[in-house]
Amino acid sequence: MDKFVAFLENNLSTPMAKLSEQKHLRAIRDGVVSALPFIIFGSLFLIIAFPPVPADSAIAEWAAKHIAEILIPYRLTMYIMTLYITFGIGYSLSQSYKLDPLSGALLAGGAFLFTTGVKMVEEVGFVLPMANMGGHGLFVGMITSIFAVEVLRLCKTKNITIKMPDSVPSSVARSFEALIPVTVVLTVMTLITVVFQVDTHSLVDKAVAPLIKAGDSLPGVLIPVFLITFFWSFGIHGVSVVGAVARPVWEVYLANNSAAVAAGKIGSQLPHVAPETFFQWFIWIGGSGATLGLVIAMLIAGKSSYSKALGRTAIVPSIFNINEPVIFGMPIVLNPVLIIPFMITPLIGATIAYVATTAGLVNPTYVMVPWTLPAPIGAYLSTGGDWRAVVLVIINITLSIVIYLPFFKMYDKKLLAQENTVEVSNGANIPS
Amino acid sequence: MKVLFVCAGGMSSAIVVNALKKEGEKNGLNLEVLAVGTQEFASEVQNGWDVAMVAPQVRHRFDNFKASADEANVPCSVIPPQAYSPLGGPTLLKLVQELVK
Repeated sequence: MDKFVAFLENNLSTPMAKLSEQKHLRAIRDGVVSALPFIIFGSLFLIIAFPPVPADSAIAEWAAKHIAEILIPYRLTMYIMTLYITFGIGYSLSQSYKLDPLSGALLAGGAFLFTTGVKMVEEVGFVLPMANMGGHGLFVGMITSIFAVEVLRLCKTKNITIKMPDSVPSSVARSFEALIPVTVVLTVMTLITVVFQVDTHSLVDKAVAPLIKAGDSLPGVLIPVFLITFFWSFGIHGVSVVGAVARPVWEVYLANNSAAVAAGKIGSQLPHVAPETFFQWFIWIGGSGATLGLVIAMLIAGKSSYSKALGRTAIVPSIFNINEPVIFGMPIVLNPVLIIPFMITPLIGATIAYVATTAGLVNPTYVMVPWTLPAPIGAYLSTGGDWRAVVLVIINITLSIVIYLPFFKMYDKKLLAQENTVEVSNGANIPS
Repeated sequence: MKVLFVCAGGMSSAIVVNALKKEGEKNGLNLEVLAVGTQEFASEVQNGWDVAMVAPQVRHRFDNFKASADEANVPCSVIPPQAYSPLGGPTLLKLVQELVK
């Protein structure tokens, strides 16, 4: 058993986790993460615009009347999330190459703007079509940001730059240093988008369409769920590894769902089941592995003093979806008894939530709220105030308690036996 | 003694930080402990810390952390999984003291 675990850890989980540290993947992840506060802020205005109150109430009537204005903060943040993300990718990638991150961020953002298709509108002047800067443009933004920073790096490593004499202040020198890469990147972008009129967005849309479709299917939901708990079973932060690849797709779903809501669609008319918020609120209740159920099992059935003590200290963080104390404290990591429910529970919870959402029993999620909210509240808000989402969360919590309970009891018996033998010798109560 | 923790978001290690602080108080040690997320680590570690502790769930990024810590001449180590819990204070304190030596 130990050999098998060591084999998996050395040949599978660790190399895969290291793969997610690849510079470009890391830059994309950091770029998306840096935009999350803006996405959270913007999506809250969707709740204000479509308040979860009866349609004939005064609040709902007020919101319906002023909907365009209420949604302006949303339009300038979440609706154009890719613009923010490109700056983040450019910053992070150039930082990892030890280039000037600000130049990288600006150049990445600039290169992306060229793809959005600026238009002249009478009486308004020049406009940027904002829809292209949203989730829809995310993959284009990833490509142009990487292109921009790679050119920047190439110019730096090949020393293609305008050298200033030492007497020139460094800030002035830096602005000249960036001149050649900026010219190269933006000339290429001009050729592609202005001279040859290539519609990069529809090209990339076509290329990623199969991926977008696959990630929203039941297997597309279960595979990342499985992988995330698989990594955590070795004590590696599963979401941070799997998210490096999957998060862009999840954010596209979120952006598309929220745009559909802003366009007046409701409930099962929303296009996607599986934005990141779906995983967060219906599956990872109490943290990855749905461990709130395990902590509740500890509190109701714990016999050993260790699991009682851990249950008491872990319950509050667990309510706020922080479960490292449980994962490393119990531990679940490399614990053959507890890894079984740790991997099964989320798969079952995900299937139930998926079926409930596709059957129209629960609204798809479209609002992003901080992941540290208790699950029922998070689920209620992220579905735009659907009480049925709360019922789904309660069903999944109950289910997780039922699945964890027999495995926990088995493990707790072992802890209790250890405590009894140790107490005889020295009175300590921490299992090895 | 100043101890810097790094985990994915700086949230979970905050719990472990409290365990370490309590253990330090018990032993009459004055510990200044801060938990940060992975993105803040590279710049924060430059601010005069005595030791940097990497949470086990982000150990696959250890090489990056180690590189930044080396630049700042701060000893840096991965926390063993058993010690990364609210009840892991004693093991953690021992580890920190060994690293600083």
